Amino acid sequence: MPDSAALADDTATLLHRCAYGDRAAFRALYDRWGAKLHGIALRIVRQPSLAADATQEAFVQVWQQAHRFDPERGSAEAFLVTLVRYRALDIVRRTTREVLGYEGADEPDDSPDALSRMVSSAEGIALKRCLERLEPNRRKMVTMAFVDGLSHGDLAQKLSIPLGTVKSAIRRSLLSLRECLAA
Amino acid sequence: MSDRDEDDAFAGEFVLGTLDPEDRRAAEQRIAQDPAFARTVATWEQRLAPMAAIPEAVEPPADLWARIDQATGTVVPLRRVRRWQFGTIAGLAIAASLAAFIVLQRPEPAHVAVLSPIAGGTAVLLATEESGGRLTVRPNGAIQVPTDRDLELWALAKGDTKPRSLGVLPAEGRSLVATLAPDTQLLVSLEPRGGSPTGQPTGPVVYGGTLSRVN
Repeated sequence: MPDSAALADDTATLLHRCAYGDRAAFRALYDRWGAKLHGIALRIVRQPSLAADATQEAFVQVWQQAHRFDPERGSAEAFLVTLVRYRALDIVRRTTREVLGYEGADEPDDSPDALSRMVSSAEGIALKRCLERLEPNRRKMVTMAFVDGLSHGDLAQKLSIPLGTVKSAIRRSLLSLRECLAA
Repeated sequence: MSDRDEDDAFAGEFVLGTLDPEDRRAAEQRIAQDPAFARTVATWEQRLAPMAAIPEAVEPPADLWARIDQATGTVVPLRRVRRWQFGTIAGLAIAASLAAFIVLQRPEPAHVAVLSPIAGGTAVLLATEESGGRLTVRPNGAIQVPTDRDLELWALAKGDTKPRSLGVLPAEGRSLVATLAPDTQLLVSLEPRGGSPTGQPTGPVVYGGTLSRVN
């Protein structure tokens, strides 16, 4: 059970405590982030049992790699999100979409206010502003790729756009975001 | 597109997740070998992470914490293992029943710890601390110690980075007086005869566990 100190700690502090083997901090981290990370994984892998696998692998890595988290270099939230996304992408890229029932499965419709969920942090507000400067089709490609784990090929098929067009649109969008965020 | 933009876009695509499996593996190899590229990837991770606010949270299966707990239960965190120059460790599940066994065997201990073998083996050490500060560490089976070595017991308080020696531990166990905070990790390392010459562990950590309060 998490102790009361763990409940009051922010995510970065909990990660720091995990690096020193603090199980109460680890449990508190799971209580705070389990459903969120599982939700992220589920959108990418689409199948509950695979999403649970990705979430489990991510938390095992959190425990083993908490010492790698450096608050000077990035946010604790990004550290956690990155771990679970990569695990989910690994799973989805080694499993064919057909097996996962991808064909015919619809992503939940994130527009028009999905981006509004990003405003809970300063970084989110900045990224939302920059995403909104992309033309709508490109913005949709970027968010679908990130949230639903779609590859270049998946996007081309889903949006009925040539693969080369998808690739160049993504690249231009990424470089626009980079410039916008640096401004 | 300049080479720098080319690299930056490739790193961004990796983080975004759009690369096909072959390119993804190529990116992973570059991250491992090229620190500048790894930093570029890390920057993209920070830039794009706020989009993770878009998916809704979904409660995971009820048994997921138990699975994670079991998968990580007795793995000594890497920060300590590295510090002590100890090689590969294997994660081992603590038999929860052992903790119950101690509680039944020894009435009213204030804290207990099951010290599991880090690198395999079946015998575990059971540590019980009674409210007066008397700590008893006993193996539940025969423990083999090389003739030119001794086991040494260490306490690592929560938040500390250096363990404190509690002295040499005979293979048959030992009682001692020690004041230990809850959540202190107890660790046993293999040392030269008579114990570590440096005051810090010099050999591999062979047993580890955390002292917790008995309710």
